[in-house]
Amino acid sequence: MAAAFSSDSDSGRAESNEASSKWLDAHYDPMANIHTFSACLALADLHGDGEYKLVVGDLGPGGQQPRLKVLKGPAVLSESPLPALPAAAVTFLMEQHEPRTPALALASGPCVYVYKNLRPYFKFSLPQLPPNPLEQDLWNQAKEDRIDPLTLKEMLEGIREKAEVPLSVQSLRFLQLELSEMEAFVNQHKSKSIKRQTVITTMTTLKKNLADEDAVSCLVLGTESKELLVLDPEAFTILAKMSLPSVPVFLEVSGQFDVEFRLAAACRNGNIYMLRRDSKRPKYCIELSAQPVGLVRVHKVLVVGSNQDSLHGFTHKGKRLWTVQMPAAILTMNLLEQCSRGLQAVMAGLANGEVRIYHDKALLNVIRTPDAVTSLCFGRYGREDNTLIMTTRGGGLIIKILKRTAVFAEGAGEAGPPPAQAVKLNVPRKTRLYVDQTLREREAGTAMHRAFQADLYLLRLRAARAYVQALESSLSPVSATAREPLKLHAVVQGLGPTFKLTLHLQNTSTARPILGLLVCFLYNEVLYALPQAFFKVPLLVPGLSYPLETFVESLSDKGISDIIKVLVLREGQSAPLLSAHINMPMSEGLAAA
Amino acid sequence: MAEGKVAMRTQFPPSAESQKPRLKKAPEFPILEKQNWLIHLHYIRKDYEACKAVIKEQLQETQGLCEYAIYVQALILRLEGNIQESLDLFQTCAVLSPPCADNLKQVARSLFLLGKHKAATEVYNEAAKLNQKDWEICHNLGVCYIYLKQFNKAQDQLHNALHLNRHDLTYIMLGKIHLLEGDLDKAIEIYKKAVEFSPENTELLTTLGLLYLQLGIYQKAFEHLGNALTYDPTNYKAILAAGSMMQTHGDFDVALTKYRVVACAVPESPPLWNNIGMCFFGKKKYVAAISCLKRANYLAPFDWKILYNLGLVHLTMQQYASAFHFLSAAINFQPKMGELYMLLAVALTNLEDTENARRAYTEAVRLDKCNPLVNLNYAVLLYNQGEKGGARAQYQEMEKKVNMLKDSSSLDFDPEMVEVAQKLGAALQVGEALVWTKPVKDPKSKHRTTSTNKATSFQQPLGSNQALGQAMSSAAACRKPPSGAGGTSQLTKPPSLPLEPEPPVAAQPPEVSAQTREK
Repeated sequence: MAAAFSSDSDSGRAESNEASSKWLDAHYDPMANIHTFSACLALADLHGDGEYKLVVGDLGPGGQQPRLKVLKGPAVLSESPLPALPAAAVTFLMEQHEPRTPALALASGPCVYVYKNLRPYFKFSLPQLPPNPLEQDLWNQAKEDRIDPLTLKEMLEGIREKAEVPLSVQSLRFLQLELSEMEAFVNQHKSKSIKRQTVITTMTTLKKNLADEDAVSCLVLGTESKELLVLDPEAFTILAKMSLPSVPVFLEVSGQFDVEFRLAAACRNGNIYMLRRDSKRPKYCIELSAQPVGLVRVHKVLVVGSNQDSLHGFTHKGKRLWTVQMPAAILTMNLLEQCSRGLQAVMAGLANGEVRIYHDKALLNVIRTPDAVTSLCFGRYGREDNTLIMTTRGGGLIIKILKRTAVFAEGAGEAGPPPAQAVKLNVPRKTRLYVDQTLREREAGTAMHRAFQADLYLLRLRAARAYVQALESSLSPVSATAREPLKLHAVVQGLGPTFKLTLHLQNTSTARPILGLLVCFLYNEVLYALPQAFFKVPLLVPGLSYPLETFVESLSDKGISDIIKVLVLREGQSAPLLSAHINMPMSEGLAAA
Repeated sequence: MAEGKVAMRTQFPPSAESQKPRLKKAPEFPILEKQNWLIHLHYIRKDYEACKAVIKEQLQETQGLCEYAIYVQALILRLEGNIQESLDLFQTCAVLSPPCADNLKQVARSLFLLGKHKAATEVYNEAAKLNQKDWEICHNLGVCYIYLKQFNKAQDQLHNALHLNRHDLTYIMLGKIHLLEGDLDKAIEIYKKAVEFSPENTELLTTLGLLYLQLGIYQKAFEHLGNALTYDPTNYKAILAAGSMMQTHGDFDVALTKYRVVACAVPESPPLWNNIGMCFFGKKKYVAAISCLKRANYLAPFDWKILYNLGLVHLTMQQYASAFHFLSAAINFQPKMGELYMLLAVALTNLEDTENARRAYTEAVRLDKCNPLVNLNYAVLLYNQGEKGGARAQYQEMEKKVNMLKDSSSLDFDPEMVEVAQKLGAALQVGEALVWTKPVKDPKSKHRTTSTNKATSFQQPLGSNQALGQAMSSAAACRKPPSGAGGTSQLTKPPSLPLEPEPPVAAQPPEVSAQTREK
């Protein structure tokens, strides 16, 4: 029965150097200054000369300087600033004409910038969203000065709370204003028409009508207004529009637009929606119960990385096939396609600086990188077919080439028992002394036991006696008499020769205040001097802790300290209710002087 | 690229630059959602610093109108533990766009995390009005009801959630309700369905395995635990449970290698060190056993099972004085277990305190309902004291229990116990060993006998703690000189001997229950 757990199946463990030998290190530049996402990386033969270039939509350090970079080999070929941060970069064939050089599309803000031969060619802007008719109406009235700002504000607020169509920025901004600023604002803006603009969140390509490698492709855009748009590659008109229940983050498309296609959209609500041609709304839905961090289609399996450090495989109908747990958070994912061997696999860049390659749930390879990889891309680069391009969190660029002899074998990754099984157990050692004592106990166990029991009894007896004595002489810091339930604790502050003695006196009864208490200090007058050795306590309200402060002057210069006794008395009674012995510290101030 | 830039300017009429003349009249408003996608990408990558920077920028630009930026900022604040602040921000979001189920869900979640389950259910119910087909709302409502101890409502909501969309988490919660209600069978049903739905979820597999283990269905338990370990060979709970089963079968070495994995992952786990200790005990490496058990005891000083094992090992090492301390500590934490009193009595007998030993035995016999060992040991003591009548009575009591066990289970008895019983029977001139009709073949099977005994003895309810108090104080009070220590020559040792085959048994219950408690 225990055979299943036998420990001696220690074979098949991938050696790290063996794994890395699948790759040739082509280039590593930790200072490449490229900060981007996998969606903004694209490889294409931009000039039609058979030399593949790398296109990077770079966000710049801290997302401050967006740039379009084109790399050839390890060097930057061209670099141009962008008007806004790029959300996605893809290359695609626009038309059938020769030479078949692909165009580059860059999604940024509400626009797609299309470049041909690295020259700006066309700019597509998302159509404006229809404004709220009521809102439009109100602003029209404002334009004709038929409505005063205050009424406008009230009406707009009413729309905001109920309407299906959200307000424009102009109205929202107006609602934030103070009364005094409204008039000016209305005058400044009333002539403008109301605009509601949305932005592109993600973009991908979809073959138009042929499945070939070099077929004309449409652009598929995901927008902040929870829509998917398919654009015609030549005319840039909207061919199809689909709506989603949430904002798309990642898109994955297969098929051809004119024939049949499947579209998977990972959305911000943690769900992945599947659409097909002719479906205006999602057909299937995968509820991840976590945020997706990557979406890759491998053959017919949809691989989703979740932010709970796991990789899931789903069918195109949304049925979960498998789950693999990652050792760290997934930062990015992309597809690895080795055409010569017909292999498709998923690459995942992890926060611990690993890039893992999975074929279904089998780990094929682990690449360790000096920094966490934030974007990945695999394909033909330069004249080399299988190149892996990675950029790191610190802005570094790593280029690796897959050896032509390299074969990814399943199970070459992690197999067999976990490495921890080889670690010896850290059993605490026992000393010689312990063994000796053990032997002694064996010999004289009975005597030890009896002696212990006798001592235990004596201890209990003493404790009981001391307790009784404390109760009898009111030595305890808590008085439990029914009339004056009191608690006392004392704090001494200072280095000397003057100390501050604070008594915290608390009435622990639930409702009854205590009146008529006195505090008396007993001390050696040779050693200490107190301004007042005897004083009255104010009325004690139940529950509150009253700090009573007094100063103590140490008179001796010989570094002697003594006990000061504090007695809490009731007026007219000689027996104290409470008493406390305060061990005074040595006067350090005097010793130093 | 310079010429490219020029071309851009001429070719893209509505680009940013060409708009400049108009800007002076009325400033163009930035698009509120301009960088939402970037915020989201940073957020899902857990790059919270970068995320916060973008949020700050976006909020400045939009003067705090960007709802999504506030929303993500609230989520990050909550992850950082500032639940109250995040709740405030979610409420700001709710002002910016009132009818939004997502936002309400987050408000409710924050309330839930703050422990305001009642308020959370109210908000969830409101969210449910906006979005009726959301499993998450149903699920979370169910969880809130669990905390409010309204199990029926919780079950309804969780079943609703399952109806909308099946998730492992919902199954786990539903199973938890049944466990809280003490309905093991129903819990197993739920977990079975869950495992069917997601056969690779190690948590589900482990839980199901542990439940089977609790019910004593070892085959199935091992199957599920094994499955869990195939999918995740470092699963802490599954390794401990499977290891304890291996210990029951005497595979101490295999169990120890498996424990190494856990020792790396969770080096401060008391059940782990307890089990390792009992492995060494099984391998007769007593010093190592004691050091491991002491570590376990250091990590969990209030766990009576570890104390029980420590007592047992010290008895074996003939360190009776130490054994006495561990056992009496164990009894303080678990006053309802007959075996503990029996072990205490054995320790006291060896410390030559027969009077207190007898008291402990009396308590043990009173508490224990089916372990013949208790009566046998008591009978031996009585016999050694010369009280043949009392010894005979205990012997007959033992026979009754043995017969009962024979009827109820097909298990064999420990040969050592049989031997002692036969000797005693001969000495008392009763029984003539009629009881032991079953021949003892496999020494391994004896563990099972005792383990089932133990399992049932857990369930025996017991009334007062007074008796224990007496027993304990009397045990502690023993200061009387020993009486007739020399008279018991041959039969004094045997009482401790039948205990030896116990280690795996002792190892098992601590582990299993520790596991189930953790859930």
